[in-house]
Amino acid sequence: FRLNIEGLLVYFPYDYIYPEQYSYMLELKRTLDAKGHGVLEMPSGTGKTISLLSLIVAYQKAYPLEVTKLVYCSRTVPEIEKVVEELRKLMDYYAKQTGVKNDFLALALSSRKNLCIHPEVSSLRFGKEVDGKCHSLTASYIRAQHHSNPSQPVCQFFEEFDAVGRQVPIPPGIYNLDDLKDFGRRKGWCPYFLARYAILHANIVVYSYHYLLDPKIADLVSKELAKKSVVVFDEAHNIDNVCIDSMSVNITRRTLDRCQTNVETLQNTISRIKETDAAKLREEYRRLVEGLKEANVARETDIYLSNPVLPDEILQEAVPGSIRTAEHFVGFIKRFLEYLKARLRIHHVVQESAPQFLKDIYEKVCIDRKPLRFCAKRLRSLLRTLEIADIADFSAITLISHFATLVSTYSKGNLYDYDFHQKTPTIANPVLHFSCMDPSIAIKPVFGRFQSVIITSGTLSPLDIYPRILDFRPVTMASFTMTLARTCLCPLIVGRGNDQVAMTSKFETREDFAVIRNYGNLLLEMSAIVPDGIVAFFTSYIYMENIVASWYEQGILENIQRNKLIFIETQDAAETSMALEKYQEACENGRGAILLSVARGKVSEGIDFVHHFGRAVIMFGVPYVYTQSRILKARLEYLRDQFQIRENDFLTFDAMRHAAQCVGRAIRGKTDYGLMIFADKRYARADKRGKLPRWIQEHLTDGSLNLTIDETVQLSKHFLRQMAQPFRREDQLGLSLLTLEQLQSEDMLQKIAQIAQQA
Amino acid sequence: MASLSEEVLLVVKRVRQRKQDGTLYLMAERIAWGPEGKDRFTVSHLYADIRCQKISPDGKAKIQLQLILHTGESTTFHFSNGSTALKDRDATKELLQQLLPKFKKKANKELEEKNRMLQEDPVLFQLYKDLVVSQVISAEEFWANRLSLNTVEHSLSNNSKQEVGISAAFLADIRPQTDGCNGLRYNLTSDIIESIFRTYPTVKQKYAENVPHNLTEKEFWTRFFQSHYFHRDRISTGQQDIFSECAKQDEKGLNSMVTQGVKNPMVDLLSLEDKTLDEGYGTATVPTTSNSSNKSLRENSNSAIIKRFNHHSAMVLAAGLRKAEAPSDQASETSSTDGNSRDSDFFQLPLKKVKLQESIEYDDLQGDSGRKTIALNLKKSDRYSHGPIPLQSQHYTTSQDIINSISIIQHEMRNYKPRLTQVMSSNAASSAITALSPGGLLMQGGAQQTINQLVPTDVQIELKHLYTAAGELLRHFWSCFPVNTPFLEDKLMGHLEEMLQAAYSKFQVWQTRRMMRKT
Repeated sequence: FRLNIEGLLVYFPYDYIYPEQYSYMLELKRTLDAKGHGVLEMPSGTGKTISLLSLIVAYQKAYPLEVTKLVYCSRTVPEIEKVVEELRKLMDYYAKQTGVKNDFLALALSSRKNLCIHPEVSSLRFGKEVDGKCHSLTASYIRAQHHSNPSQPVCQFFEEFDAVGRQVPIPPGIYNLDDLKDFGRRKGWCPYFLARYAILHANIVVYSYHYLLDPKIADLVSKELAKKSVVVFDEAHNIDNVCIDSMSVNITRRTLDRCQTNVETLQNTISRIKETDAAKLREEYRRLVEGLKEANVARETDIYLSNPVLPDEILQEAVPGSIRTAEHFVGFIKRFLEYLKARLRIHHVVQESAPQFLKDIYEKVCIDRKPLRFCAKRLRSLLRTLEIADIADFSAITLISHFATLVSTYSKGNLYDYDFHQKTPTIANPVLHFSCMDPSIAIKPVFGRFQSVIITSGTLSPLDIYPRILDFRPVTMASFTMTLARTCLCPLIVGRGNDQVAMTSKFETREDFAVIRNYGNLLLEMSAIVPDGIVAFFTSYIYMENIVASWYEQGILENIQRNKLIFIETQDAAETSMALEKYQEACENGRGAILLSVARGKVSEGIDFVHHFGRAVIMFGVPYVYTQSRILKARLEYLRDQFQIRENDFLTFDAMRHAAQCVGRAIRGKTDYGLMIFADKRYARADKRGKLPRWIQEHLTDGSLNLTIDETVQLSKHFLRQMAQPFRREDQLGLSLLTLEQLQSEDMLQKIAQIAQQA
Repeated sequence: MASLSEEVLLVVKRVRQRKQDGTLYLMAERIAWGPEGKDRFTVSHLYADIRCQKISPDGKAKIQLQLILHTGESTTFHFSNGSTALKDRDATKELLQQLLPKFKKKANKELEEKNRMLQEDPVLFQLYKDLVVSQVISAEEFWANRLSLNTVEHSLSNNSKQEVGISAAFLADIRPQTDGCNGLRYNLTSDIIESIFRTYPTVKQKYAENVPHNLTEKEFWTRFFQSHYFHRDRISTGQQDIFSECAKQDEKGLNSMVTQGVKNPMVDLLSLEDKTLDEGYGTATVPTTSNSSNKSLRENSNSAIIKRFNHHSAMVLAAGLRKAEAPSDQASETSSTDGNSRDSDFFQLPLKKVKLQESIEYDDLQGDSGRKTIALNLKKSDRYSHGPIPLQSQHYTTSQDIINSISIIQHEMRNYKPRLTQVMSSNAASSAITALSPGGLLMQGGAQQTINQLVPTDVQIELKHLYTAAGELLRHFWSCFPVNTPFLEDKLMGHLEEMLQAAYSKFQVWQTRRMMRKT
């Protein structure tokens, strides 16, 4: 139906609406009005995506000049496809209601692996292979060679697209990945390049975080997105880690060795080209002098999203003379490489900050900071000039050059650390970690460039920490609860076994026999009373392995098997996928199953356990990160110094957001229900409990804080029996489900105002 | 005689039966004994009729073998061939030991089947009582006709019953017990064995290969429990083990399951990530785990346990599903070994669409209007409103006709004038009404009070039984035609007549009883 959100006409493609959806849209509208950034937390399963889309699309239609584009970033491929499907639903509704044919262009963008339709290339299994193969068919000089030598293979889809695809705009509509492929097949155009080109004029773009956050990709894909865009990061509870990952580098001996061969290849190629085509190198030299100036102009005129790897000051200068010619540059890289090799030869752990490193490198091999900063840029130019076909082969040297640029550019918040992984007792295998301490570096250009950035997820509590670690000022911060006609979630904190021994995954007692046995008993008892699926999460993979082994020895697993089938996550993704599917099959056909899984693992991050796939989630222990790691320690120190966030606060925050993520997997809507069992007595403490999302905290009564296993079983039985009663729409109406009339009533609007809690 | 064509498995000479010397023959389907010098068997038992065999204790002077039949009769053979008597007896015993179970199963099955049918069908049971128990016809004859009749029907009803799956914990049920002297005892039941076979087809294969040629059943299971295959957490030490191949097969099955991938794109973790970080980027400090040499033995065994549980659960699940699908497609043969029970990704795309739709649906937000209805698509609405009509009578009333006729009737009604002179008198009318109302003159009649009110129920029931019994006999009678075998002829001429006679007399008895009761 049609809604009036503070004067904005919003089409909502359903007959009913949840009160919190209305409230969410209100807050979102205010954020857009203020042209600022927002942090919004709303439980999963309350229709967050459709609310977001409805409002922003309405806003785009009402103020086409204010908001020109919606960039929707999500985490996984299925999520992306889901968003597009919801959008399709919304657009169909628009068309039906207004009778006007949809004039929006919305599309999903994904990596080549998911979009390629070339028969040979798309049959490759790994993304990297697909990219490499694609590049070897579509690179500009390959195509130039094709002109003179038609036997040189090229991709006909790309050729076709390049010839006509750019002139003819893709007709308005909603394009999911499969739709793009279909369209590409029909026209004979490459869907990947078509999508990359089309995002520039599309109204709505849906893609993954990396296209915006990873500077290496953002530079290629998202550079020219309009400033007046709204950027949404959905499922953003992990956004800081994504930022850090995209800016961190690990270098091993193997990397250096491969880099060495790369350098040699480059040298050979250069000397060969020098003999045959010296003009090409001269041309490149000239371009380097000019080129960066152009980039600077472009940035000033506000066309490009800035690249954190290429900070502003670089643009004002040309590439320093010392690395401008190809040979000099290769020599330079060689020197740098030798230095790194020497550093990796040491036999103890070293930790130092960027300035220390730069000072050392200057003293030892006389490498200045300035040319280091241009390394990445210079290498890219060289590879292009030398017509290197297979970029994938040169990943090592690219990595080194990125490292050089990063290390010299961001002196603050970075750190190296030489680590020893004792693979075999005799050979030390040192690794150089360059870790980014500051997630705000990667995301800064995004906040700086786009007028509104919305960060949203089901679990963002405590809200105030995200603006601090990402270093931005939001105009709205709100957490919404889930209005419920029946309490369909039942969080319980189990602190003791029936023998009164405390249950905890605390480091000192986690290997304790009694603790492991009690955990086993808890699972056993629950497997007997919970119907269909149970998902259990452990704090780490190793811990799970140990527990499973000792449960096996004690015969606990055998007893559990009497009730349900057992499936276990492994470190192999394909194997886990298989286990997951079998798990769902077992839930589907009524046998019931248990999935043992790991917090922070792939399952906990990307898989939903709706309805009978997850009637209970058990969180064994508090999923703290491995605190002994030096990199983590350094990051904590950095957080304390820069943002005044105490170590413990951050660790607890991090653990609790993962715990909330895990248990939140089971509830996907108001008709769903599930038990959430926190099996660790530490959850009962106020500092832990207080960091759970509000929609879970609300249902955590004092009576369910420190239960024994028996008490848990009693409460669960009661809960499950209640939930098994029929649940009809009438029960929800007026409370957690509203018709349009109900929504317009005065006291309902007042109630709705309380749903959003401003942080 | 007919016995000449039978395959003779064993001949034992000088076997005494009832103090008579003779020869014992073990044939494919029966055991027979004929006295010395005569050409026919005086004793002949089908294996299926034999319940068990008994032998005399080793120390006894007389070396005997006793056969006990299902009917309770028994036959004793005395082996009297001096020195080789014991050997003869044992050879016979061994052979019988192998033969009897085969037939026993069949016999038991039939017996069970018969029992079940009698229990499920009271009419049949009554018939059985009337005909067989009262010895009108023999049991064999009774069933010969029935069983074949019912097998089709029965197999249908059996299939529709839900197959019971396998308990996931069946291996746990075989708890080893220490027998006190440093050994372990496993209790295996046939249920557990079946579970093992159904879940692990490779073990079944091994069993078929090795038992009883290479190993006895007992040895086979002993080795099974000793093998690392059963104790999967123990790392294989590379010793000769017939089950190492099973383990390899399982490994292969698991791998093929993994490589086959998953059909539901929503749970495919491999394609979850859109853009993985390149090697060398990111903070993940996990060292490559592919290198197994640096893993401790314990870690290895842990991951073996985990693998095993996944595999076990998948197999149990597949075993449950396999049964249900087996009749529908033969192709499941190939998939049965790897535990994956469905076809490959032919339907990938539509499935993905469906899953996506499913995951974005909020059924409580959707109004009732969202319920899917199928639009009625009429090619000829004419036909829909009139229904099918034979082609010749094309001429049906159009709406115009109906309107016309209505107006005609209306017209006539308006012009209706009662002709009072020709009306019946009121007296006559009322008497006619009373005569026609229930209880009146014309509405009386014994016709309503049928036989079921006149005859007492037990007589009725008896009549019913007689009727069905007679019907059954007649069925037997007619099923003898055309008479093309001597057996049928014999049946027809000899005892069917007898039987019918018996039935007549029974009816006679009933008739007289009824008469007596009436008078």
